[in-house]
Amino acid sequence: MHSHLNSFVTADAKKCVGCRSCEVACAVAHSKKEIKTVGNMDVPIMSRLYLVKTPEVSVPVQCRNCEDALCLRSCPVSAIKKQGNRIVIDETNCIGCKSCILVCPFGAIELITVNNTVVASKCDLCSERSQGPACVEACPHNALKYVADIGRDQSERRIAAAKRLAEVKEKYI
Amino acid sequence: MKSYDGIKIDPDLCTGCRQCAAVCPVNAIEGEQGGTQIINQAKCVMCGQCIQVCSAYDSVFEKHNVSRQKRLSVRHLPEFITEPLFAAHSIGDLLKVRDVLKSKTKFMMVQCAPAVRVALAEEFGLPLGSLVPGKMAAALRRIGFNRVYDTNFAADLTIMEEASELVSRVRNHGLLPMFTSCCPAWVKFVETHYPEFIDNLSSCKSPQQMAGSMFKTYGASVDGVEPERVYSVAIMPCTCKKFEAERREMKASGYQDVDAVLTTRELAYLIKEAMIDFSSLPEETFDKPLGVYSGAGSIFGITGGVTEAAIRTAYEMLTGKQLSDVDVTAARGEQSIKRLTLDTGELKLKTVVVAGLKNVVPILENLKQGEADFHFMEVMTCPAGCISGGGQPKMLLKDDSIKAYDRRGCSIYEHDKEQYIRKSHENPEIQDIYQRFLGEPLGHQAHKLLHTHYKPKKSV
Repeated sequence: MHSHLNSFVTADAKKCVGCRSCEVACAVAHSKKEIKTVGNMDVPIMSRLYLVKTPEVSVPVQCRNCEDALCLRSCPVSAIKKQGNRIVIDETNCIGCKSCILVCPFGAIELITVNNTVVASKCDLCSERSQGPACVEACPHNALKYVADIGRDQSERRIAAAKRLAEVKEKYI
Repeated sequence: MKSYDGIKIDPDLCTGCRQCAAVCPVNAIEGEQGGTQIINQAKCVMCGQCIQVCSAYDSVFEKHNVSRQKRLSVRHLPEFITEPLFAAHSIGDLLKVRDVLKSKTKFMMVQCAPAVRVALAEEFGLPLGSLVPGKMAAALRRIGFNRVYDTNFAADLTIMEEASELVSRVRNHGLLPMFTSCCPAWVKFVETHYPEFIDNLSSCKSPQQMAGSMFKTYGASVDGVEPERVYSVAIMPCTCKKFEAERREMKASGYQDVDAVLTTRELAYLIKEAMIDFSSLPEETFDKPLGVYSGAGSIFGITGGVTEAAIRTAYEMLTGKQLSDVDVTAARGEQSIKRLTLDTGELKLKTVVVAGLKNVVPILENLKQGEADFHFMEVMTCPAGCISGGGQPKMLLKDDSIKAYDRRGCSIYEHDKEQYIRKSHENPEIQDIYQRFLGEPLGHQAHKLLHTHYKPKKSV
């Protein structure tokens, strides 16, 4: 059943230092022209993940590609669709009604201006990038993880848990 | 006059990630993890590496306490700039230079450091490390500079003096080891952290300051203008060069030798504001006489370059023989510490080349214990030398910084190879200026205009 589940990027708040490298890399990956230097960037950085920084926590938040995606259900013009293992927004059909923004439990959707039109925007898992999500690659502390196959992730955790159990048995029983 | 202390962290944008503290070579960035960081200005050597690594920016999705307009004005940046602004930044001099250019009351002379011509084009979307001396010269003329001179010429001049000084120290039992003095952050570091080694620093001024004192003396006389009418601007890959230009020692011409320093990034703003289409500019040359340079002058911009340039001249001074291979490959490469030995017959001249200020500390500590196994040491504060300076184009991605250093380095050596003359002492304009104006290297006039002496600064 796992192979049908959507992929997503998750962040580890214990590792994140709040440097915003992930956001910068996201904006560069989604830029229409190839940009290397800050001086050659003439628009604001519009990332699709958002660093949350409060006195208690510092970690970026982004789309979880929910299985029963409320954004998809709430879109009145069917501009949000499931495509492969991700939920995508079709910017050309989006009317900027903000329904998806209201229902997203993660606050992972923002409004941006594309060709003078305001549309909804969210993480697309860098669909056009062969190396996978740019944010994951850019994090200097490896705080971000691309979960493409949650089944494999689960099985790794279970193996680790089993090893710990074996250690406990050896030590104490 | 208060000295330049223009490396700052914007508290409204800083997220306290302390990436800057990790690259600061002098531990000048103070603050708790997650809290706002403050730069201890007494410790700061103004290398600007914090600016290059900072990734906390003015997000449009967040409400900031300070308006963009206010932020630009605090940084002395013009309002037309639309690029994202980051927390770590330097205070610029662009507005000042622009006003003088507009006033048309001054005779404008400009010099450009070797590392600027291999990075400037990146700000216009050209490939990393594009070599553009000709377009840069053309752009500077269109902006309104009357004389487009070159720091590379002054780098050749520095080699004449510095190689002579080394030869003299070696032959006359002068103080050794001798340290290079062209990196102003390194000089400030010695003054504040290791004042006992001040006399080990070469008394030569940096190429920027040598050019500055030549502009308002010889340069002014070439054009028949009064020195006070000359406004001297330096385009530098370095934020600390602003500090150096304002030092009180730097008035050999009787005036402030360099009136203003612009970083590579600031020059790009100036070109954009003048609506110049950089990539379609023609290739032009630098003006004579203070803009003619050898390959040795052009490699000053990379770690090991000063050493290589010095060897090309010092070897011939010491041996009286021609150096068969001008490519001193042992001085090249990205390693933070390189050691090389040059056999001159008279002695085996041992040199250490250090890139990254942190890496010099163990060497100086050994030296304190009296353990010097070398005669000459080159130190550059930035990780790959001036090509990686704090005033160079800032990369959005860390991986691109590494690529950029590599590409810029290749271009520096390519430019050296392109030059018909590769040794500073063979530069005809250098020979001419000694004959007409300066006399001998280390002579009276050269000493007055091209050398200085540093003093200890309050320790921190």
